[in-house]
Amino acid sequence: MSPGTTTEPATRLDLPPRPRTWPRRTLVFSALTAFTVATCLPAIGGIEIDLAAIAQNWRHGAANLSALLQPNWSFVPRTIQPMLETLQMAFVGAAIAAALSVPLTLWAARPTNPNTVTRTAVRAVINVVRAVPDLVWATILVAMVGVGALPGLLTLVLFDVGIVVKLVSEAIDSTDHPYLEAARAGGATQGRMNRALALPQSLPLFSNQWLYALELNVRISAILGIVGAGGIGRLLDERFGFFAYGDVSVIILEILVVVLLIEAASNVLRRRLA
Amino acid sequence: MTHDTQAAEAGHAPASAAWPIRLDGVSVTYPNGTTALRDVSLDIDAGEMVSIVGLSGSGKSTLIRTINGLVPVTAGTVTVGPHTVSGLHGRRLREVRGHVGMIFQGFNLATRVDVYRNTLVGRFARAGRLRTLLGVTSARDREVALTALDTVGMLDKVWSRAAALSGGQQQRVAIARALSQEPSIMLADEPVASLDPPTAHAVMSELERINAERHLTVLVNLHLMDLARQYTRRMIGLRDGELVYDGPAAEATEADFEQIYGRRIRPQDRLGDRT
Repeated sequence: MSPGTTTEPATRLDLPPRPRTWPRRTLVFSALTAFTVATCLPAIGGIEIDLAAIAQNWRHGAANLSALLQPNWSFVPRTIQPMLETLQMAFVGAAIAAALSVPLTLWAARPTNPNTVTRTAVRAVINVVRAVPDLVWATILVAMVGVGALPGLLTLVLFDVGIVVKLVSEAIDSTDHPYLEAARAGGATQGRMNRALALPQSLPLFSNQWLYALELNVRISAILGIVGAGGIGRLLDERFGFFAYGDVSVIILEILVVVLLIEAASNVLRRRLA
Repeated sequence: MTHDTQAAEAGHAPASAAWPIRLDGVSVTYPNGTTALRDVSLDIDAGEMVSIVGLSGSGKSTLIRTINGLVPVTAGTVTVGPHTVSGLHGRRLREVRGHVGMIFQGFNLATRVDVYRNTLVGRFARAGRLRTLLGVTSARDREVALTALDTVGMLDKVWSRAAALSGGQQQRVAIARALSQEPSIMLADEPVASLDPPTAHAVMSELERINAERHLTVLVNLHLMDLARQYTRRMIGLRDGELVYDGPAAEATEADFEQIYGRRIRPQDRLGDRT
């Protein structure tokens, strides 16, 4: 600020009129409120949320909870083998998905695949894969290839490929790639410049999502066993069936510890790779 | 395509000879409706060093990109050496591009990739189908790329990531990438606009040397009048996509520049003398 302007009275600024946004904001807010209330009215087909059920049934819950609070530590040895199977599924699934995600991602991103037809086709397939929930994939695959770790592994691969390809290809789309113009100007083929330049340039984007996929895998594969897709989930389902809450409690704690460990490890790796 | 034996006989000097450039009634209209070039006709002899001067938006970048087909022409023909660029596609277009080196205002290096692999990109057009498919480089590719890096004085940085280099160093690597194509034409799109004055002069001198020693046809986009006067013999002026000046650069008067710019000369139209 120059010394002259501080002493003089402030000149009137030629401010353009402020746009009126409150009628619009009020309209959107009241519409959202009305919609939320409407979905809770059973009279017009809304969902029934019976809060009284909590008051009536909390005693059962409390009994279960107190059973869960007494872990049966002698059950630990029996959980080791299924837990290792779960971890194995998670790692192998993430590794296979990482390998598959590289070409698919480069096909699904505009800068690395200017061909609209193949790009749209890859994106459509990935969107369909992502639209199917993981438990539904697991159920279908158990029916197709039988009970065990294999359907679980296939589910994880499909799930991871969907996530990695979508997130990384969108990240590639939203960044500039001037080096690709230079390579194109020098007469390089798209495939060669993708491999030599676009892939190493995008590797941090990939490694971030690969690690995220691994974290998700440990969490999901604990659940997949419930539909017969192997791992610790199957044991969890079985112990629940026998109302062995002490054993269930051990399994839940074990899953919690493993998930936390994997997340801590991947956070360290992520910082190193950035 | 050059055979290894011929190149070995020729020794250090690139085997390819300079190409003339010819634009005949070239117009470019982008898909969004903007007309960037209107009926431009030009004849540039093999081995000439020519500057294209104009303000941003005058069509210089578009003009230089029609020469290697990065921008397709809407009307007219572009001829480089024995090839008609307009209308070429796929493999044939890539082959022609292999003979035309290009450097950019933003250097356009892959920043996470080392200098060596950035330079090797210049050899991609010369690789056969099998090498392209497998992504392998031949001993000759390595030798040409390393020689090019040595020429621009960047051999000691060969294993550094491009991001670790200064702007001037990055532009030198970009020049090495273009030189390792063993090109017949060198295009430069505002090569010094992102550099400080001493570095800008160094890069312009490098282009001058390439023109003098390798006898390449050099076409360089500039918006500064004194750089055009100092480093090029012939100057082409563009305004609103039309050719408004074509003549010797050294004798271009202030009035000529005012006509090209479409306004009076300002201090920022000059970079300042060589130091």
